[in-house]
Amino acid sequence: MSSSSRATRRSLVWVVLGVVLVVALLIGSGVFSSKPLTRAQRVEAIASGIKCPSCEDLSVADSNAQTAITVRTAIAAQVAAGRTDQQIDDFLVARYGSAIVLTPPTSGWSLLVWVLPLVGGVVAIGGLTLFMVRRRRRGFAPDDEAAAAVSDGDMSADMLADRQLFLERSLADAEAEHDAGDLSDADYQALLRRDRGRLETIEARMVALEQAAAAPDVLAGAAVSASVGAGSSTGLVAGAGHDPRTARAGSSADDAPPLDPTSADPTSIPGPASTTRPRRSRRQRFLLGGSVVTLSAAIVLVVVLVAVPRLPGQTETGNVTLSQQQKIAQTLAEAAVDEDAGNLSQAAQLYNQILSDNPNQAQATAQLGWLDYQVGTSGNSTTLKNQGRKLVERAVKLDPQDFAGHLYLGTILLLQDNDATGAVAQYQAFLGATNPVPAASVIKQAAPYIRRAYTQAGVALPSQVPAA
Amino acid sequence: MLVIAAGLIAVLATRPQATTEQAASPLLGKQAPPVSGITVDGTHYSLPAQPGKYIVVNFFASWCVPCQTEGPNLVAFQFEHQRSGDASVLSVVIQDTVGDARSYQAKIGANWPTMADSHGKIRLDYGVASPPSTFVIAPDGRVVADYLGPATVADLDSVIQRAKASHP
Repeated sequence: MSSSSRATRRSLVWVVLGVVLVVALLIGSGVFSSKPLTRAQRVEAIASGIKCPSCEDLSVADSNAQTAITVRTAIAAQVAAGRTDQQIDDFLVARYGSAIVLTPPTSGWSLLVWVLPLVGGVVAIGGLTLFMVRRRRRGFAPDDEAAAAVSDGDMSADMLADRQLFLERSLADAEAEHDAGDLSDADYQALLRRDRGRLETIEARMVALEQAAAAPDVLAGAAVSASVGAGSSTGLVAGAGHDPRTARAGSSADDAPPLDPTSADPTSIPGPASTTRPRRSRRQRFLLGGSVVTLSAAIVLVVVLVAVPRLPGQTETGNVTLSQQQKIAQTLAEAAVDEDAGNLSQAAQLYNQILSDNPNQAQATAQLGWLDYQVGTSGNSTTLKNQGRKLVERAVKLDPQDFAGHLYLGTILLLQDNDATGAVAQYQAFLGATNPVPAASVIKQAAPYIRRAYTQAGVALPSQVPAA
Repeated sequence: MLVIAAGLIAVLATRPQATTEQAASPLLGKQAPPVSGITVDGTHYSLPAQPGKYIVVNFFASWCVPCQTEGPNLVAFQFEHQRSGDASVLSVVIQDTVGDARSYQAKIGANWPTMADSHGKIRLDYGVASPPSTFVIAPDGRVVADYLGPATVADLDSVIQRAKASHP
């Protein structure tokens, strides 16, 4: 049978194996099953994708917590009522939020959780394939080997033995591949010529070393340079058709210069660099594979950590792209819009949202305090007013350079305590604030209170404050 | 590898702690699910039939320590608002026996309607995972706030004041 027909038959075997694998997976996945699921099976299937609300990382199908039982019962009731899987998911999401569904959504940032493992897998397989192809090609590139080859003078007996073993295996592999039709006749012959030549030289070198060891009175240099083979004085790199540029009769093994890197002689002995190449290649392979796997895992982990579903009430900030400060600024802006529109509860919720993550955020503290103070004043709630005032005072302490706290505290001192002097001190800090500098529109808005405080305290009005 | 490790550490270190996360209910701003049935005292209770009042729906269990912290706050809140008539409390017993729940309520002086929810329907409708969970429902039936963990009088007063200011 010719090599090409063997190769065709071998390829056919792989194709058949692949088809069997795919078909088996499809059958196992139940794609071809025409039998509809029973109610119990549907309940089980849906429950296994729903998180137990009171558990950590358990589905309601896997938990016997009371809440999980309640949810399972609800799922069973919905299935019995003829609802679709999507309707049941929606029913639960409307009550517990999107986090109740264990499967990440296939939209927004969460889509990366689905895509990245595939991309990682493709990159890993592609990288491995590329590596294997390049390695195979390199195996038939005597020039590369020769270029990397250096003198064998540094090779010990152990290294020579390793090299011998490697070449023997290489020849056995080549023979097997040739028999299997994976290696062309021309390539096979080239490989045989190259590796057999190398093997002969290695073996000659080993014999020389053994002779040197057996005759300690012989100078090492003489042993190393002893001719091997039929009276040849070719030295270690000699062999059939050796390149005289690489022969060094009479020189010692230890000071042997490297082989000519341009040599394309297939029988030249690879030195330590090429001898250790298989070992280094394996390490490189592990490093490559490990790096790809680690990088993919790291990316997936980062996405899982930052791409949590947005909860109701949370702003759509996009944790990956916005810095913490940007998110705070965005939430503050949203809260200001709500406040202007009269949605005070919503505004307070946004301020609280900032403070829950950043308890010492001065601007949110000042804004929430002022909101509470205003609502407490209009609702005649002393509790709320005091709560608001405390927050404003806290904001001033948290960031003395932020103007908002000084403005609000000055106004509270003026209106609640009738303390014009105290109010002026706060307004002076407000006007002198640098982080940020108060805008002219803000000063204009606060001007009536500022003028009143300065007038009552008998202090000259600063030029920044417009006159009445 | 070192860069990846450093990146991961940075991401993990800058994330807020799990305890500071506030998960708002999907019900917020929507109509509250109706609650109707017989209370543990044998009287009929219907949630939408409380015209003009803010209703604080509190899910609790007698064994739950945060619920024990919250209890006196609810008693104070109920006391304060009984006079003004603008708000009242409804408790729902979850993950507890009715007997234990009633004993606990008697001990702290809770005198408001309490429902047993033995089939978990109310808990499911409100998406409650564990006690204590508290929802504030406006007179128009909208859920205006929810608390996971013990709510205080100040919390509840603030919510009601703000809701009144937003929708007088």
